[in-house]
Amino acid sequence: MRELSFEGTTVRFGSGRSALTAVDGVDLTVPAGSVVGLVGESGSGKSTLAKAAVGLVPTTSGEIRLDGAPLRTRRDRRRLQLVFQDPHASLDPRMTVGESIAEALRGRRRSARAAEVARLLELVDLDPARARSLPSGLSGGQRQRVALARALAAEPEVVLADEITSALDVSVQGSVLNLVRDLQRRLGLTILFISHNLSVVRYVSDVIAVMYLGRIVEAGPADAVLSSPRHPYTRTLLDAAPAFGVALDDPVPADDPRLDTEAPSPHDPPTGCRFHRRCPIGPLTRPERTICAETDPQPGAPDRPHRSACHFASETLTLEVPAR
Amino acid sequence: MGRDQWRAALRNPVGAAAAGLLVLLAVLAVVAPILWGDAAEETDPAALSQGSTSEHPLGTDALGRDIMLRVLVATRYSLGLALLATAICVVAGVLLGVLPAVLGRRAGRLVTGTVNLAVAFPGLLLALFFAVIFGVGARGAVLAIGLAGAPSFARLVQTNVAAVSGRDFVAAARLAGVGRFRLVARHLLPNIGEPLVVNATVMAGSALLAFAGLSFLGLGVQPPAYDWGRLLGEGLDRIYINPAAALAPGVAVVVAGLAFTLLGESIAQVVGVRAVRRRRPPVGDQAAAAAAAGSAPETPGDTVLVADDLRVGFPAPRGGWTYPVDGVGLTVRPGETVGIVGESGSGKSLTALAVAQLAPDTADVTAARLEVAGVEPRGRPESEVRELLGTKVAMVFQDPMTSFNPSMRVGTQLAEVTRVHEGQGRRAALARAVDRLRTVRVPAPERRAHQYPHEFSGGMRQRAMVAMGLMSTPELIIADEPTTALDVTVQRQVLRLLKDVQAETGAAVVLISHDIAVVAQLCERVVVMYAGRVVEELPVGQLGAAAHPYTRALLASVPDLATDRERPLATIPGRPPDPADRPEGCAFAPRCAFADDACRVRPGLAAVAPEQRAACWHPRSQPLDLVLDVLSGGRS
Ligand SMILES: Nc1ncnc2c1ncn2[C@@H]1O[C@H](COP(=O)(O)OP(=O)(O)OP(=O)(O)O)[C@@H](O)[C@H]1O
Ligand code: SF4
Ligand code: SF4
Ligand SMILES: [Mg+2]
Repeated sequence: MRELSFEGTTVRFGSGRSALTAVDGVDLTVPAGSVVGLVGESGSGKSTLAKAAVGLVPTTSGEIRLDGAPLRTRRDRRRLQLVFQDPHASLDPRMTVGESIAEALRGRRRSARAAEVARLLELVDLDPARARSLPSGLSGGQRQRVALARALAAEPEVVLADEITSALDVSVQGSVLNLVRDLQRRLGLTILFISHNLSVVRYVSDVIAVMYLGRIVEAGPADAVLSSPRHPYTRTLLDAAPAFGVALDDPVPADDPRLDTEAPSPHDPPTGCRFHRRCPIGPLTRPERTICAETDPQPGAPDRPHRSACHFASETLTLEVPAR
Repeated sequence: MGRDQWRAALRNPVGAAAAGLLVLLAVLAVVAPILWGDAAEETDPAALSQGSTSEHPLGTDALGRDIMLRVLVATRYSLGLALLATAICVVAGVLLGVLPAVLGRRAGRLVTGTVNLAVAFPGLLLALFFAVIFGVGARGAVLAIGLAGAPSFARLVQTNVAAVSGRDFVAAARLAGVGRFRLVARHLLPNIGEPLVVNATVMAGSALLAFAGLSFLGLGVQPPAYDWGRLLGEGLDRIYINPAAALAPGVAVVVAGLAFTLLGESIAQVVGVRAVRRRRPPVGDQAAAAAAAGSAPETPGDTVLVADDLRVGFPAPRGGWTYPVDGVGLTVRPGETVGIVGESGSGKSLTALAVAQLAPDTADVTAARLEVAGVEPRGRPESEVRELLGTKVAMVFQDPMTSFNPSMRVGTQLAEVTRVHEGQGRRAALARAVDRLRTVRVPAPERRAHQYPHEFSGGMRQRAMVAMGLMSTPELIIADEPTTALDVTVQRQVLRLLKDVQAETGAAVVLISHDIAVVAQLCERVVVMYAGRVVEELPVGQLGAAAHPYTRALLASVPDLATDRERPLATIPGRPPDPADRPEGCAFAPRCAFADDACRVRPGLAAVAPEQRAACWHPRSQPLDLVLDVLSGGRS
């Protein structure tokens, strides 16, 4: 297992007025043998980052490296394997489970292949006899296990898991998460685990990175990021996560009526700090903080705690709860 | 295309007739030349250019050969040439069609461009052009017709390949290192087979016609060989003397061509939208299952919704009926917020749709009692029910994009609701629409009202959907996974909005969600569904004392921000049963750790604590520590 690192990775789509920078100068390292969880709201560029790594979308600039060596060829990229969100779409409906997995195995004899497919199916807690089933006969959770087995069949250095539990029922989600955690510990996998669900990410990750409008705005050890977030956006996400015993009526800082309620258009990101129109401690609530709307906090991020893209990251986050 | 679909295509009367004809033609093609090949060549100097006689029912040609026999014998050559041309067309088309997927980006674009250019030429012109190039004769004509059809077939393949290429499994295969050729052979072609088969069949029909045309013009089959086209040409010279000589080969061409085309069409119909017919299950079927059904609890005071033994059935593919909603009892009091939770397929949405009288046409909805906002919909004409419920019940769906008309401005759509139901004027209705958009905190409502749904973000569309519900004063708002597609921050806003709306208007809210934490945030009471039935209902505050094993497992299996990372998550083995083969008795039994013999009888909902009912023979009584921690501890 090796270390995956993104260095200034940028992905731009389209041109002219419809141009949009889906991933904007991302620096992120997934250390060997660890799980980095990537959270952020929809459209923040999580999937695009993963697709760029495996070469499904071209990068505009920046470098993606495995143990320091840039990934260039298709062969290089095969050392990364992506598991997709929707297990109903990611398996060929016409191929048996065994055929799908075998396809990712390289240069083995027929008999050795069958044995390997059986081993992989067992690894993901499926009956090896399932090799002969078609995907249509499997439940969502089972299909996602097959997709995992197929990714592992390519003997990847790094696994990228993009929302692999969001299409699953809650009662199956748990077993897939257990499997991911278990496989990671047993095989020492290096995983970039993408999800919009903080609780899910927290359960499997060692490091958490938070993405907003194409950028990583905070990254650090999972516990530290969740217990003392350094970016107001992380705080906002934590406050909004539905949890038992938290009434909707308890207002949170992000409920301040002066703030924008939704993410700005990625076609036209705000000046300065991209979060400033939604930031509970930004210029809309504290007019003296004009710097937020004028100066981009991203360049100074490496020197701040949790690499936070916030001018005020070193302050303890004391947020005032607005009156309702 | 599965075997069942082929069978279905043949069951369709048109398809069956076409297939029957083709079989007949195939038999003729095989046997006619063997039986009558020589006889058809026999010249009869005594009977030159005769009309119909008893010996030659369709007359004879200039050399005295029997026309009927010649038409029959020509079947083989005519069909064979047409099929050969089709084969050339399909092979060339598929090759050209998949080329862009195999070649690099630039070369691929070149091929696509060339094909598009060729498609722009009229097919017949192309065929004539090729016929001249390849020279007069059967071989030239086959090549000409085959190649002339290739561009449009190639384009068909290209568009289909492009559609399949975009699917995840193709990307996954690429990532797994599957080569380009294998990708085409194993993943792309098999998944576009259906439209190709349909089109090739139709193509065979037109090739037959085109071939007849070329032969008729003298560009196709040359003497002494003959096909229908040539017979037609010869017959036409003497059409006033012996019309049958021209009509017979003409009819043969048309009938065979039609047979191919119709078969193609009926396959297409089966592959595409399957026609649904409205059916009703036999009455006995319903009564039998009503026995152990869940009934609504005693209903003191007034209610906005009472459903008792609500069942929603669909005709099963293999005959009979299945009941995705199988005896649900549900009561909602005015101003109450009730959450329905359950996994996908548990029947949550169908329950809601049935209550709002929006169940699909093919569904059969029955209930021992059903009362919505004081209206008893059963036994009333549909239009009247819609009219009555239109202003009293509001629905909010998961994907507001599909519930809005994409070509109508949002404000106009909202206004339409009041105009239809309350006969308000245009201006007044629009003013109200803007006002409601403001209520749901859509920024700049005047401007937004003039925008189209696609110009709204997901969260904003969802709010507009709530606004639409508020155009009248609903007594009941049913929200079906209203926040599932939204981010947590937006989800929170939409939930708060629902709560505010409810506080302001006093409407009752039924929130359907697979996420029990979401339901717990908004609702006072939770109804848990499993396999089409209610298995437990309880106040949100009592979730920590959930009694049904399924409810408890559901609560334990979802990680939250306080879950112990060192312990595996609780899981539920197995999967929910298919509505078509639910186990008898308790449907949860195959996955339940506490199942025993008693569970083979279906448990009804019974009180286990004040305001709490569970459908289980062995309800759990010890508190759920995990949930209790979280419930009492709140956010860390
Ligand atoms: N092929 C493409 N062409 C143009 N824009 C694209 C393309 N793919 C993605 N985008 C845009 O890039 C941005 C980032 O999208 P991406 O799918 O990476 O988001 P995400 O964080 O994975 O969201 P989700 O949680 O919904 O999966 C979005 O604005 C999206 O619309
Ligand atoms: S830089 Fe300013 S606006 Fe941006 S997150 Fe920090 S405080 Fe908020
Ligand atoms: S009735 Fe039996 S099988 Fe069903 S949930 Fe209760 S204990 Fe389990
Ligand atoms: Mg995504």
